[in-house]
Amino acid sequence: MASEDAPGSGAAVPAGEAPAFDTSVAHVARVYNYWLGGKDNFAADRAAAEQAMAAFPGIALSARANRAFLRRAVTYLAGQAGIRQFLDIGTGIPSANNTHEVAQATVASSRIVYVDNDPVVLAHARALLTSSPEGATDYIDADLRNADQILAGAAATLDFSRPVGVMLMAILQHLSDDDDPYAVVGKLMAAVPAGSYLVLSHPAKDIHAAEMAEMANRLNQTMAEKVTFRGQAEVAKFFSGLELVEPGMTNVPEWRPETEEEATSLAALWGGVARKP
Amino acid sequence: MAVRPGRPGSLTFQARPSLLARRAGAVVSVAQQPDGAESLPPGQDEPDEAELASAESGGGPTALRILLGGQLRRLREAAGISPDDAGYEIRASRSKISRLEHGRVSFKERDVADLLTLYGVPDGDLRAHLLTLAQQANSRGWWARYDDVLPDWFATYVGLEQATSLIRTYELQFIPGLFQTEDYARAVTVLGHRSASPPEIDRRVSLRLKRQELLHVGAAPRVWAVIDESALRRPLGGAGVMRAQLQRLIELAELPRVTIQVMPFDRGGHSAAGGSFSILRFAAPDLPDVVYIEQLTGALYLDKADEVDHYREVMNSLSAEADTPAASARELKKLISAL
Repeated sequence: MASEDAPGSGAAVPAGEAPAFDTSVAHVARVYNYWLGGKDNFAADRAAAEQAMAAFPGIALSARANRAFLRRAVTYLAGQAGIRQFLDIGTGIPSANNTHEVAQATVASSRIVYVDNDPVVLAHARALLTSSPEGATDYIDADLRNADQILAGAAATLDFSRPVGVMLMAILQHLSDDDDPYAVVGKLMAAVPAGSYLVLSHPAKDIHAAEMAEMANRLNQTMAEKVTFRGQAEVAKFFSGLELVEPGMTNVPEWRPETEEEATSLAALWGGVARKP
Repeated sequence: MAVRPGRPGSLTFQARPSLLARRAGAVVSVAQQPDGAESLPPGQDEPDEAELASAESGGGPTALRILLGGQLRRLREAAGISPDDAGYEIRASRSKISRLEHGRVSFKERDVADLLTLYGVPDGDLRAHLLTLAQQANSRGWWARYDDVLPDWFATYVGLEQATSLIRTYELQFIPGLFQTEDYARAVTVLGHRSASPPEIDRRVSLRLKRQELLHVGAAPRVWAVIDESALRRPLGGAGVMRAQLQRLIELAELPRVTIQVMPFDRGGHSAAGGSFSILRFAAPDLPDVVYIEQLTGALYLDKADEVDHYREVMNSLSAEADTPAASARELKKLISAL
């Protein structure tokens, strides 16, 4: 199981390229599914998720808070901001309140492109993330590091002459600094017109810092996909050149919470919504 | 099929549980016929407990029984009490405790109350919740009215199917029962019941069609099917029936909660060499997925994590290898024009 893939053992699977076919090694989408209370996980995922929870017991709440942030952010974009097209990168295993469901509940004709690099995750997306009759959903098999491929594929469904909501929900931690995540985000935002939005959340290394550091350490021992948690200033840099909407970048429960319970949830994720001027 | 039609309502016993069922620790019962065509008399795997036969024949909201049984098992294990001791408490055998915990038999409320006391569950929300579940689990489902053509092993399946939020199914030989047209269902039924009278065939087909109402109710479960090309090419009932059946699949795939993927011949060597199976998921977080596998002499229901994991992994591989839903719709159209 996971012990064979500890760092330094020369794990054969490059970061981000472990297919969910292989259930003997914990996989990020399935670990996240476990934290969300889903049933699409396997023994190695459950073990890794539990080990992470032992380091940071708030991670399950944090994962839920991230989903709640997604729902509020998409509701805001589809409603107040008038966004009708979404590019959701790092789809993950379908859960409650998926991007197209939230967007199409506000405007049924919303168009959503989901991007993931895992064949099993994509099979789930194609089967379960199906559009309203008025709107459209499409699914692209691509890696976040390959922004050109994502943009080329998305152009079949999205009109890049009109504003797009670009969603990067708790995904950039899987790019190391060597992958130059800032260039990736820059390229994506350069391809969309003024009036587009970036919705981004990222695990924080400076909220519950000691627990988060230990959790990152454990995840990097059990999962093929490595994580790099980042601090407030590092995450804020992803919004460079964009205009953050109120209340700016926050720990995600504080971003326009709708209930007291949402507002006070434990979480350690920097998140924000920003408009391209 | 080497099956003999049975007299409705009669009871036959299998000599012993199949090896697979025993190894898997699974629920098993007898009487089988292809593609879930409801067939043959109800059966029992342990004839020495004939007293349970009446309890098992009720149908009832099976998922609730499984939910309650699973909770009772967890409570018993947490209390460190053996099945024997639990059985003694309610004047029953160890195997009856096993049956209760697998949701295979209906619960007497008094037995549940006695077990909860033994397990140290005090008066309060949990106790009240579980006793309510026991009451609800004893009510009867609509399928109980088909008990003349519905053996226990399949009544369990129908009961589960009615309570699902997601049904994933892989079919090698036949169109999945939930998707069959009346004519195709009749052809499959006749195939498995060559000596059945026309009224009996009608009853079986009627049950099949009644099950399909599931696809059109407000809170319909999602049905996600991977169908092997061989099932799509075998013209049961003739070319006309098959053409209509394939057309039905195209229409069903357009329903928001139905997904159909075709597994083409050229995608050989995939991982479900064992044959058709289904995975049933329930909305309640406490309910495990249940794997359903039909065999020549019965059906298996697996709900242990390691077993379910294995089948879910295979199903995931099949879903990822098969044609996408969009490509599958195009393939179905091609198959129709080739007929």
